[in-house]
Amino acid sequence: MSGEKNIIEVNGLKKAFGANVVLKDVSFEVKKSEKVVLIGASGSGKSTLLRCLNRLEDDYEGSVLFEGENVNGASKEKLRLLRQKMGMVFQQFNLFPHKTVLENITFSPIKLKIANSQAAIAHAHELLEQVGLSEKADAYPQSLSGGQQQRVAIARALAMKPEVMLFDEPTSALDPEMVGDVLDVMESLAQKGMTMIIVTHEMSFAQNIADKVLFMDDGLIADSGTAEYIFKETNNTRTRSFLSKVM
Amino acid sequence: MFDFLKQYYPVFVEGTAQTIIISIIGIMIGILLGLVFVMMRLSKLKFLSYIARVYIAIVRGTPAMIQVMLIYYTLSKVLEVPQIQFLGSGLDRVIPGSIALGINSGAYTAEIFRSGIISISNGQTEAGLSLGLSDRTTMFSIVLPQAVRNILPALGNEFISLVKESSVLFYIGVQEVTAQALGVGGTLYDFVPPLIVAALIYFVLTFILSQLMQLLEKKMGRKYLRSN
Ligand SMILES: Nc1ncnc2c1ncn2[C@@H]1O[C@H](COP(=O)(O)OP(=O)(O)OP(=O)(O)O)[C@@H](O)[C@H]1O
Ligand SMILES: [Mg+2]
Repeated sequence: MSGEKNIIEVNGLKKAFGANVVLKDVSFEVKKSEKVVLIGASGSGKSTLLRCLNRLEDDYEGSVLFEGENVNGASKEKLRLLRQKMGMVFQQFNLFPHKTVLENITFSPIKLKIANSQAAIAHAHELLEQVGLSEKADAYPQSLSGGQQQRVAIARALAMKPEVMLFDEPTSALDPEMVGDVLDVMESLAQKGMTMIIVTHEMSFAQNIADKVLFMDDGLIADSGTAEYIFKETNNTRTRSFLSKVM
Repeated sequence: MFDFLKQYYPVFVEGTAQTIIISIIGIMIGILLGLVFVMMRLSKLKFLSYIARVYIAIVRGTPAMIQVMLIYYTLSKVLEVPQIQFLGSGLDRVIPGSIALGINSGAYTAEIFRSGIISISNGQTEAGLSLGLSDRTTMFSIVLPQAVRNILPALGNEFISLVKESSVLFYIGVQEVTAQALGVGGTLYDFVPPLIVAALIYFVLTFILSQLMQLLEKKMGRKYLRSN
């Protein structure tokens, strides 16, 4: 499943908000096509870590390399190119409410001249089909359910043809009956070979999809390994106590 | 009581046209300055933000009449405007006067824009940036359109008060509708009827403006909720 090349390398990442040191010393790598799942208690720094990868959080120490290029040292223009290659999906969807579903998806590729508008629209329709929302192209986000909005958000990120997809608790804001649809979309994305980094509290999904699980505790990766290892074999008491609480 | 209108109505028409023109120019300059100053106010660069705060504080803390006079007397020293007559007033008064209205309104408009921008969730900015959009595109294509929709009522109030406040240009000799009414009152030795006419004209102008704003609000609001 996993290729050889490291697409992301994080080394000695430290991030503080004022006196609150949130990431203490985080290092890990992600190979092409790999699915990495981040788990850990609320406040352990999972979102912060994910957001450091595309520099939505700035001013951190250590290094983040994306395909060998330094994210933290990148100029503004360079950073924008790097961000295009890292699609991000947020807990709160963050669709643009003043744009239709189709416009949400096509706006960036057209604006950034990734595609002309004809090609962008054609691609958007393909993506909508992929996430099962072909008939919603002309709807506005507010008329969609949470699960539908999140699937549009995934399509919007995919429209930039990213190399990696970052998911920050994509199903946490959803009603339970909608979680499955979103996870199915992610599952099929995984099968297509997309590299994915996923923060989630959906443990059985994590267990299914993960090539590698990182357990975060108090700003550190306290434990990591295959899903098999983390969910069944580990002797780490913190991992076990966390899992016993959430599963 | 209003028989004088038969003779003097052209004066009121001229004054109304003048009021409309200075208001439109004032509103446009106000929007432009509002945008510039809100960007400065929200800028990460401290000194830009500081300049914007000082501008807003001064405009809000001093009478419009004094601002208008100061701007008129200062501009008339540095700006060479030919003495062309326009709807009964010299352009050398109309132009500095409208600029002064705009400078005054810009401070209030900047604050309204700011309240609109901070009402839009940070997630919108982050979504834009995460797609690789620039700060500017994210601001102007994602955040501002939503902010403007939220602040339309407040902007409408500001425009309406600008139309009414434009009467301060009377002090620098712009023959807008208040000035014309006072002129007519002087010749008639009776100020009340012409002032009532002027008040009615303001009322009609602001009423039309508020209807237009409501129409715009409806149009923008409906769009958001349209489903497939
Ligand atoms: N912008 C910020 N300013 C200040 N502190 C912050 C900021 N963002 C996060 N923090 C703090 O950083 C710590 C880690 O937050 P983070 O959101 O990364 O946790 P998390 O593991 O994602 O938690 P959750 O499961 O609740 O989403 C928390 O203590 C939080 O209060
Ligand atoms: Mg989080």
